[in-house]
Amino acid sequence: MSRGLASNSKYSYNHLNGKGASEAIDVHDITVKKSRLRIFLSYFGAAVFLTATFYLVVLKELCISSIWCILVCFSLAKVLHHKPIKKESVVILPAFGVQLETHYWSGRVIRRFVPISKILKPVLNECVTPVTCHWSLALILRDEDELMLVFQKLQPPVRMLVPVWKALCAASH
Amino acid sequence: MDQQRKHRILMVSDFFYPNFGGVESHIYYLSQCLLKLGHKVVVMTHAYGNRSGVRYVTNGLKVYYVPWRPFLMQNALPTFYGTLPITRTILVREKISIVHGHQAFSTLCHEALMHARTMGYKIIFTDHSLYGFADVGSIHMNKVLQFTLADISQAICVSHTSKENTVLRSGITPERVFVIPNAVDTAMFSPAPNRLSCDEIVIIVVSRLVYRKGADLLVEVIPEVCRLFPNVCFVVGGDGPKRVRLEEMREKYSLQDRVEMLGAVPHSQVRSVLISGHIFLNSSLTEAFCIAILEAASCGLLTVSTRVGGVPEVLPDDMIVLAEPDPGDMVHAIGKAIHMLPNINPHVMHSRMKKLYSWHDVAKRTETVYNCALQSSDENLLQRLPRYLKCGAWAGKLFGLVMIVNFLLWRLLELWQPAESIEEVPDLVLVQNEHEEPMQDFVEARD
Repeated sequence: MSRGLASNSKYSYNHLNGKGASEAIDVHDITVKKSRLRIFLSYFGAAVFLTATFYLVVLKELCISSIWCILVCFSLAKVLHHKPIKKESVVILPAFGVQLETHYWSGRVIRRFVPISKILKPVLNECVTPVTCHWSLALILRDEDELMLVFQKLQPPVRMLVPVWKALCAASH
Repeated sequence: MDQQRKHRILMVSDFFYPNFGGVESHIYYLSQCLLKLGHKVVVMTHAYGNRSGVRYVTNGLKVYYVPWRPFLMQNALPTFYGTLPITRTILVREKISIVHGHQAFSTLCHEALMHARTMGYKIIFTDHSLYGFADVGSIHMNKVLQFTLADISQAICVSHTSKENTVLRSGITPERVFVIPNAVDTAMFSPAPNRLSCDEIVIIVVSRLVYRKGADLLVEVIPEVCRLFPNVCFVVGGDGPKRVRLEEMREKYSLQDRVEMLGAVPHSQVRSVLISGHIFLNSSLTEAFCIAILEAASCGLLTVSTRVGGVPEVLPDDMIVLAEPDPGDMVHAIGKAIHMLPNINPHVMHSRMKKLYSWHDVAKRTETVYNCALQSSDENLLQRLPRYLKCGAWAGKLFGLVMIVNFLLWRLLELWQPAESIEEVPDLVLVQNEHEEPMQDFVEARD
């Protein structure tokens, strides 16, 4: 049984509750919508940066203004850069653990497993950066100083994080 | 006119907990009392060390420690437009209706008020100190203040002297300035249960030992008083650059057994220092409103102070003896205070202070100012620009240009990250159970 719950222009959330085996496995997915504009802008930024660097380094002499130009083009490329992540998912195996997966467009998958006994509590944090403020979902682990982020690369909106947080709370008690 | 309307207030200043000072405690107590009246208060300040991010203090007061490094005297670096994105994010996600800035010396306050005004919010400014007119630093500070107050909804000053000073410095019309004095937490500052004996009179001094607070006057006054009155001894709490001079004075006149130097006194121990004495001595050279003498009076001490700034407005005549900032006059005043001492009853003084000053009263008066501010009409950029252009021949044009660039940057930011994409924060409701720890109930926002 699958329920597509929420989506915005960038992310879409999906909750799969498969009842194949004797125990129900919970899967929560946050998928990044493929946007041609973003990919184009990412390549455009990289192209601008590379041409500017090539032009200024090879054809002209390196001086303060050219270094400044390179830095500006680099920051433009960084801002426009499109992360190659297809989706991040949380697989909750009740009474066993939680598996956090990151799927890339190239087909590569990175998985991390956290045993259920290690999770003290899942928390929703407000993170403040010098320019903005966003929500993140993290796990407080026993005997560890650092929180483990559930969605390491993506920053989904909080209304997509709340059902995942509730499911994790239910699983870890 | 809906007088019962609840506001959502953002307090902005560079100065907040974990620092302890006049401005910090003013913001804290005012926020707590406004929370009790039912309003929502959020505080924005810069990060202190690794204390950065969102923190909650007593009663669910939310504090944003924005990770901008303090650069000079606890102030964040003034980048003009650097704080626009984070200020906008906080204003939208907390659904703020009024922005209240504190202290003219705080760069974060001026920047946040400028951004809030560009985005159309109503702004209030509270000035806590007196400033001069003559030296270079003051001239620049006054120009910045003139910019901020050119388009302010209302301003608050802590004494009538401070109102005069602010109006002269910034050119704002006096009708827009309200006077709301500070208050003191009389529950925390209560007198000693048993009256101290008057055989040996103890004079307490608790202040930062800097030039502004009159440490040089102390150096002249203390030996003279010790010579004239053999049964008097001093307790000096606080630290600063002038402490060396006080130590030298102690050595020179051999007053080690009569003058005790405590060093820096943590805020939580100020009361225990105060109740060990009979008289409180304040030798400041300038003071908009002195909370220290309120604390001393609340603890039942008789105050001797210099007649500067807003000090004469603070206490009734039978609780304070005023003197000119001159050593001879101050010694005379201390003599007068020593004679008045047998007639002083600390507990009666404390009860009078409870009636005269309370933070709840300050919060109610501030609420009136907020209601007044919200009634003023909304104006767009073109209607507001003439107020900036009036600030001066060159300054006016510069200010106008700064506001136009701010407006354009704001529009650009609205295109890049629309306000709808900033999620609003649900209000946390603190639920207290009798037998359990206080729980937090997460109230979900509606889509």
